Amino acid sequence: MKDTRRTRWVLGVLLAVALTMITVDYRGGQRSPLAGLRALGAAVFGPVERASASVVRPVGNTVDAITDAPGERRRADRLERENQRLREQLRAGRLDASRYEQLHRLLGSAGIGGYKIVAAQVISAGQGFEETVTIDVGSRDGVRRDMTVMSADGLVGRVTRVGPATSTVLLATDVTSSVGARLEDSREIGIVQGRGRRGLSAGDDAPLKFQMLNANAPLRPGQRLVTLGSQGERPYVPGVPIGTVERIDKPEGGLTRTAYVRPFVRFSSLDVVAVVVAPPKTDPRDAVLPPKPKPTPTPTPTSTSTATPFATRGGTPGGTPTPLASPGADPTDAESTPGRRGGEEPSRRPGVDPSATTTSEG
Amino acid sequence: MVRAPMPGQSEPSTTGRGVIAALVIAVALILQVSVANRLPLPGDVTPDLVLLAVVALALVNGSLTGVVAGFCAGLAADIIPPADHTLGRYALVYCLIGYVCGMAAAELDRQTFVPFMAVAVGALAGTVLYALTGMLLADPRAAWEVAARIVPLQVFYDVLASPFVVWAVLRVTRRYERPDRGRDRFAVPAAARYRAMSGRGGGL
Repeated sequence: MKDTRRTRWVLGVLLAVALTMITVDYRGGQRSPLAGLRALGAAVFGPVERASASVVRPVGNTVDAITDAPGERRRADRLERENQRLREQLRAGRLDASRYEQLHRLLGSAGIGGYKIVAAQVISAGQGFEETVTIDVGSRDGVRRDMTVMSADGLVGRVTRVGPATSTVLLATDVTSSVGARLEDSREIGIVQGRGRRGLSAGDDAPLKFQMLNANAPLRPGQRLVTLGSQGERPYVPGVPIGTVERIDKPEGGLTRTAYVRPFVRFSSLDVVAVVVAPPKTDPRDAVLPPKPKPTPTPTPTSTSTATPFATRGGTPGGTPTPLASPGADPTDAESTPGRRGGEEPSRRPGVDPSATTTSEG
Repeated sequence: MVRAPMPGQSEPSTTGRGVIAALVIAVALILQVSVANRLPLPGDVTPDLVLLAVVALALVNGSLTGVVAGFCAGLAADIIPPADHTLGRYALVYCLIGYVCGMAAAELDRQTFVPFMAVAVGALAGTVLYALTGMLLADPRAAWEVAARIVPLQVFYDVLASPFVVWAVLRVTRRYERPDRGRDRFAVPAAARYRAMSGRGGGL
């Protein structure tokens, strides 16, 4: 009896504390007085997570490999063929103009876009309803709040919280995430919102929703989206590939049109990502998008073509994050490494002339 | 039959039990964020190991431990890095779940299926309560259509993962308690009874 009363008393006190914390934190919003607690959490758990991630990464990789075995097999075959083809092309002649173009496309998304990045590794993920991950770079590595996070394939999300050695990334698929987006090859803009990846049925691989502001503009499945770029390039830098329009909501006549978007990034197996610490000098427009798929509008084959070079440039899995210099910073190197072209000369990029794109639609 | 420990009697083992509970929670938290949440499971929903650990601790040690362990585990889950929700939500939910499961352990221990029921009910109540707090705070992530498709899957995965977590917690608790069996009159019988029930329950 005594004990029950004591238990109830403790329960009451703790519930009151929890409710108070919820109230204080909710009312405080971004400037919550309980931010110190979170900072404490980041300081205490961040290093532990880093350590445990290095231990458990092989486990995760194994599980990943098992669950995605057929896909990996296909990817391996494709990469092998691609590799073979590239090797032949390399042998044929490095400075040949057409091959220059091929290599240019294959060399990292970051290089093409002219983003200055810090490579990072995902070390943990959020639970419950939120779709967040922790990455192993923090304020010590120059990461600040509201920086874009991308992978070789495209947009991952943005940094919402920064600890000394870790930071929290809000994924683009989170319900609270909204990103300004632009349709490829046009000026049509809209907002890409997360639908929440969790619990989507197996056939539904479109965890993003695109609301186009102009309801009458043409929109068809297979069109691809890039980030529009936020004001002051924070939190989103322009030109990062987001995904492909998968299907379009039937009802028309609203103020906006809604499409469901399949992201280029595989959010369930995020590993090496990059935080964009400095935006490109000019908007890379559609340049970072993978080359248009030739046979059918399936974006899967295209997504890996950029993955390879990026991983070799920025991603040293398990290694320390290396800040990569802006590719445009070294113009003397441009001949030998064709992909290293900065964002300063977007007009020289074949096929992607921003002024032409702009005027053709207007 | 009095199972609830008299405050004086349980005093010697309180510190040790607290340490064990803290360890269990810390391990569950780290495993949750760095392993479980990154498993590419169908539906992208992952079992809530922390909730299961709280349920197991409450079933073994009773309400008081359940309440305190739930609160601490929840608070830790609220501040561990990738967390991005209003602080205190998990603390509130796990605290309640710890209390309820502790009560269940004390009242229904003769039934064979209690542990499984407790885990299932705890998982369901925990997920639903957490979603409810989100709705109360107008969190867009806990909107009805999102919650409706996550909660059933979440409960399913929790129940699937529960035998492993409960087993692990029992093992750790037992290993600690073996030396001072004579001093602690409460935890050993409860753990042993629970273990026996789990064994029989497996045949159901």
